[in-house]
Amino acid sequence: MVNPLISELKRAFTGWFIPYRFNLEKWAYTLQRISGIAVTGYFLAHIVETGNVVGGLAVWAPTSTSMASDVWAATFQFLDNPLFDTGLIVIGFMLSFHTINGIRLTLTEFGLLQGKPSRPDYPYEPKSLSKVQRALFWVSILFAAGTAVYAFHVLFGA
Amino acid sequence: MKESSRMLLHYVTGLGIVVVGFVHLFTIFLTGSYLQNLSFYGGPYSVLAVYRNLILASTLELLLLFVDYHALNGIRVILIEFHQGAAWERGVSWILTVAGILLLIYGTRTILLANSLV
Repeated sequence: MVNPLISELKRAFTGWFIPYRFNLEKWAYTLQRISGIAVTGYFLAHIVETGNVVGGLAVWAPTSTSMASDVWAATFQFLDNPLFDTGLIVIGFMLSFHTINGIRLTLTEFGLLQGKPSRPDYPYEPKSLSKVQRALFWVSILFAAGTAVYAFHVLFGA
Repeated sequence: MKESSRMLLHYVTGLGIVVVGFVHLFTIFLTGSYLQNLSFYGGPYSVLAVYRNLILASTLELLLLFVDYHALNGIRVILIEFHQGAAWERGVSWILTVAGILLLIYGTRTILLANSLV
């Protein structure tokens, strides 16, 4: 039998990937969480990757430059393939989206760009999501797409 | 710490990441060739040069501190949205706090050791 807590967490998580009747606010909410998790994964991998260059977990004293240079070169060679490059393009998209949409969320947290309350009428568009906020959401998508194109150019263009 | 203070710190670290993250990405992508800046030695913004520059190494430490808090607090927010309960919230907060401190120590060690390679 599956632990009820695990199945609750699983149901909540998989709900993000079933975009049934998502409105724009729900898309922004879901993408902000997915991009946050993706960038956190990259952050953890980057901490491990850079930590290995100076000797990894076992080393806590200054080591030699030539050893670090060799590990750096080996890491660079290992990561230099289309799979990791494609991953970096996706991370670039996620990071850019998370940044601009995060700025939108920060502004709303401090009471800016909020829609005016009014009577809920069909089709029940969320009143909190003002026109400027909608525009900022689309700016974040455009900025993310631009970053992905730039990353593609840098990683695959040369 | 109150939830409102945690979230205020979340937004403050987010804005901090925008600033120091820009410096980090600027040194890699906008100060010359991307491949030159990712080489270990040889250029003004190559890996070793960045770690040995006190100002740039300090921005890396700030970036580590801000991302560490922002990322792990973000995971905490997601986990307490998924499931509610005092014990769950306390457990998640403690585990992520310990993980955050360990990551900060490990990342700081990397910056210090890379700064003092012999």
